[in-house]
This record gives sequence, C-alpha cells and structure tokens, in this order.
Amino acid sequence: MKILRKLIALVAIAMPLTLGLPGCHSLDSYDNDYYGNFDALWTILDEHYCFFEQKDVDWAAVRDRYRSEIKPDMELKAFFGLCADMLAELRDGHTNLSSWFDVSYYREWWTAYPQNFNWRLIQEHYLNFDYSTSGGMSYKLLTESNVAYVRYSSFSYGINHSFVNDMMLSVKEADGMILDIRDNGGGDMTAVEDLVSHFIDERILAGYIQHKTGPGHNDFSDPYAYYCDPVIGVRWLKPVIILTNRSTFSAANNFVQVMKPLRHVVVVGDTTGGGSGMPFSSEIPIGWSVRFSASPVYDADMQLTEYGIPPTENGQMNMDPEAALDGHDTILDFAISVIVKYAEDNKKENTSRALREVL
Amino acid sequence: MMKKIISLLAGAAISLGLTVTAAESEDTVAIERPVVSAYTLEAGTAHIAQTYLSPLRYSGPMIALSYERMQAMRFDPERWVMRLSGRLDGARTRNNPARNATMWDLGLNLGWGMMRRWNIGPWSLYGGGYTSVEGGVLYVPRNSNNPVAAKAAWTVGVEASAVYHTSLWGKNLTLRYLGEMPLAGVFFSPEYGELYYEIYLGNHKGLVRGAWPGNFFRVNNLLTADIALGRTILRLGYRCNIMSTKTHDIVNRQIEHTAVIGVASEWLSLSPSRRPDAHARYISALY
Repeated sequence: MKILRKLIALVAIAMPLTLGLPGCHSLDSYDNDYYGNFDALWTILDEHYCFFEQKDVDWAAVRDRYRSEIKPDMELKAFFGLCADMLAELRDGHTNLSSWFDVSYYREWWTAYPQNFNWRLIQEHYLNFDYSTSGGMSYKLLTESNVAYVRYSSFSYGINHSFVNDMMLSVKEADGMILDIRDNGGGDMTAVEDLVSHFIDERILAGYIQHKTGPGHNDFSDPYAYYCDPVIGVRWLKPVIILTNRSTFSAANNFVQVMKPLRHVVVVGDTTGGGSGMPFSSEIPIGWSVRFSASPVYDADMQLTEYGIPPTENGQMNMDPEAALDGHDTILDFAISVIVKYAEDNKKENTSRALREVL
Repeated sequence: MMKKIISLLAGAAISLGLTVTAAESEDTVAIERPVVSAYTLEAGTAHIAQTYLSPLRYSGPMIALSYERMQAMRFDPERWVMRLSGRLDGARTRNNPARNATMWDLGLNLGWGMMRRWNIGPWSLYGGGYTSVEGGVLYVPRNSNNPVAAKAAWTVGVEASAVYHTSLWGKNLTLRYLGEMPLAGVFFSPEYGELYYEIYLGNHKGLVRGAWPGNFFRVNNLLTADIALGRTILRLGYRCNIMSTKTHDIVNRQIEHTAVIGVASEWLSLSPSRRPDAHARYISALY
C-alpha cells in the first residue's frame, strides 16, 4: 500500500505541475505600444536581415537615431512613417512594412532611373494590338524582321509549359527571340527555373543560396549550389535577347542572372533592379506585417546581384524618349537589328558565333 | 543437519510441484482479452507560438478527433496491456495582440505503447513506454516565403496511468489519469532563417534533429471518466497537451486545453471457427 500511496501522490503532484507549466523555452515579449512595436520591428530585422554587411548599415545606430524620435502621443501614421523611414535605411526593395492603411516601399532602386519601357507603344507600333497571350506571357512573330517578340510581365503567373511549348513551335522559323522582361517585378522563383528550362539543353549551375543560421549578423550557412535542368519539351537554343530595365526585379533579376552566361543569350537595356535576397515575413504586436531580405542568392560565380545585373557588354542603353514619340522603342529596335545582323552574318560566313560577339 | 537439508529440498519440491499443478490448472481456463476502443471528440483552445512564423503568440479554438484502443497482452494479460492511439487536431487561432491575422494548425499523432499493470484494490496503476509519430503544419497565410512551419517527429517515451474503479448511481464508473512524455527521438526543423524553397532545391542539411526533453519537451495529460450505460460506455474528460521545442533558435510552443466527449466499448473478435468459451476468463485492459 505504501507504493500505491506514493504513486497516487506522484500523479497528484505531476498533473497540476504540468498543467501549469508555461513551457520550458523562453519567448521574447513586446508591449503593444510605440516603443514595444518599434523594438519588435528593429529586433526582427536585427536577427533576420541578411545584407547588413554588404550595405554597410550600422543597425544599432539606426535604432538609437529613430527610437529617440518616438513620442508617446504621436499620431499612428506618423509612427508608421518613422518605422518606414528606419526600414528605408536598408535601401532594399524587398523590405516593406504593411499596415491596414499603408504599405511602405523603398523605391529608389527604380525611381532614380529612366523607365525605358512603354507597353502601349509596343502593342500599338510593333504588335498592332494583335498577339497571342496567356498567363502573363504574350508573343508575336515580327514577320518583317523574322524575329519572335515575347513579353513576360510577371513571374507571379507561373509558367504554363504547354503554352511555352506551343509558342516556341509557333515561332520556330524565327531567326531569334526577344524576351522582354522590362517592368517584370518578379514573383515565384520556381517559375524562373521553369522558364530557364526551355532555354538550356543540359543541366547548368544556376547559382548559390544561403540562409541565416542564427540571430547574429554573420550567422550564415555555407552557400548551397542549385541547378536548372532542361525541360522535357520544346527548347529554344537559337539567339535570345533579354530586354531589361531598372524595374526588372527580384525573381526577374534572378532569371537574368541564370540566363546571362548562356552562349546564345545576351542582355540589352538598362541594369536590372536587383533584389537578390529572398524575402521572409514577420509581424509586430500592432498587427503590421514586415517583409525583408533574408536569404541571399548569388550567381554562378558567387557574385551578389542585390544591386542589379548590368547588360551584356555594349548592350547598355536607354530608350530615346523623342523616338518613342514617333512610335519607336529604340531598345527593342536595337535588339531586332542585332538578331537580323547575327542571322545575316551566319548565312554569309556559315559560322555560329556567340551572340554577344555581334553587339 | 542433513535432515534439515532434505526437508528443505522436499519442501521446495512440493511447493514447486504445487505451483506447476496450479499453473496447469490455470492453463485449462480459456482467457479472453476484449478490446477497449474509444472514439472521442475534443473541443477547446490552443495557444501557439512559432517563432519561425511570427514572434507573436496566437490563441483560438481547436477541435480534435481521437481514437484509443487498449488490450491485455497475450503473453501476460494480467500484468501487461498495450495501448494504441490516434489523434487528428485542427486549430484556427486569431487572438494575436492585434487580432488581424490567423495561424492555422493541423496535426496528426499516432502512438503505440505497452504498460505494466498493478491492480491494488479499486485502483489499477500502469507504467510503461510508448513510441509515437506525429506530423502537421502551422500556416500563416499572410507570410510571403515563410507561410508554413512543418511539424514531424518520431519519439519514444514513458507513459503512466492511474485508474480508479467505482460506481455512480448504480453504474460502473472508471476514472483515469493518463500522462505521456517523450524522452528521445528525432524531429524536423528548418534552420533559423532557412526557407522551404531552399529545402525544395535540395539542401537537407540539419533538418533532422535529435530530440530530448531539453529541446523537445512534451507532456500530454488526459483525465477521463467512463460511465457504463448498458453496452456502451460514455467517456467524458479533459485533455491538456503541452509542447515546447527549441532548435536552431526557433521556438515552437503549443498548449492545448480540450474537453473530451465520446463513446467507448469493449468487444471481442469472433468468427465461425472461434467462438467464445462460456467458461472463459475475461481480462479487460481498462475496466
């Protein structure tokens, strides 16, 4: 009976103990006032943001500077603006603070540069408002130059392989393809792999990815190499000219990063907008969510493309605004002329030079 | 002296002989081991914190469906019982400080254990070990590239139970407390800031972690009252599950309080070739 009494006592003691146990691992806790929310926001970035070193940001100094500006009686929107200004110190297009009344953006990665793109102009003067389209992708064979023009507006649409197969078969007689991803602000990284897979005939090293392994600013994993494989479907190995501008961002930037080294590909237009840190999300007690770069992605040479990817040598150019008034996209005109010249040269010399040699 | 040794050996031989006789006599009585099975519905609240998804704590309503099966073991039905359990749970937690986001939880747990039983008067005490596999997902729709945190674990641990048999208004009443706690195993976790996209790309380093109570603390508590109503048994109860894990600087804490209601029954598996023996001795795993 002694054993019985002991066991009963054990259960009687253990049960309330475990019921009342709050859990053995501590959690950070923040007050839901301006200071608590500011501290939560600052700490989230401090522990997860991935480009402090590359951007030479003294995040502790940033905290001290902005925290001192908080007033307990300030307007909510003024507090939002203060937080947004603090995030803007990171100079990162992937960093946003979202509230129910506003979303903060850092826009200088594209506002400080010419737009270099006018979709209406292209539809009116090059496509004659007559083209095939599906899932963010539009195309037409420009018969006069025998060049296929393909516009892909966002990687958020994903890639419809059936449509891409059909598109490539429809324009298979063209001498080359212009793939216009100006103003493509990104989307799904898996769509990048899907689209790239139509332009390669063997496995390629796409780049490297890292992630934070802890809250320290330099707690990073070893870079992990990742690859793209060719699609089982139609593959386009003829010349490709990718058109870019400063609004070619994030996943679209990554697409350029993977495609640019290919022998049959050149990039023409303006430097891309960058955005090579894959974003992560979190939130603060007031209910605002925050998004920020958390996992750096590097190109196949382990170079960071956060600040954008320049066009292929001799491919850097801006659109002539006066010519645009006359219905000319000078970047597109240049790309067409390159493909036409490349095709003519190949016919004359019966050789197959790398496309970049024609630029 | 010699006489003493002979009488001692004789006594031992006689007692051994009696024991053997008694055992042979018992062997002639068939033993039936009815299965105790219970289906229950649970409803209550979940309190969740998952720092991979959010630094905020969430709470909200949850429901669960549970199944439990117990049976005395064939090799020693008086002393050993097995227990099989399954539980599917879901929660929709919205009570973060601003109440403007939702964290969804879906989980499945399957366990099997074996316990030694001690019958002492109206009490039955159980103690033993178990193993379980669990999986599930936490989901915050408004997160961009980190909307989910997957849960997966395989653990072994200890379980103990205290059962009190009594009656209420002339009905048999069985009161029970059951506690479980994993002691070792493995569980899944991405690294601190690792996106599932990177796992999809093929980086599987560090995803499987060894579990021990320091990084995978879990205590499941179940109180039930089983009231025999004819052939069916009504089960009422309360469950409190506490889990707290920490690895790669990611804390996952889930505390659940649920009311339990369901039906239990005892049944025997019969067939034309296997009919119940009228003189069989029935050994229940619980009642």
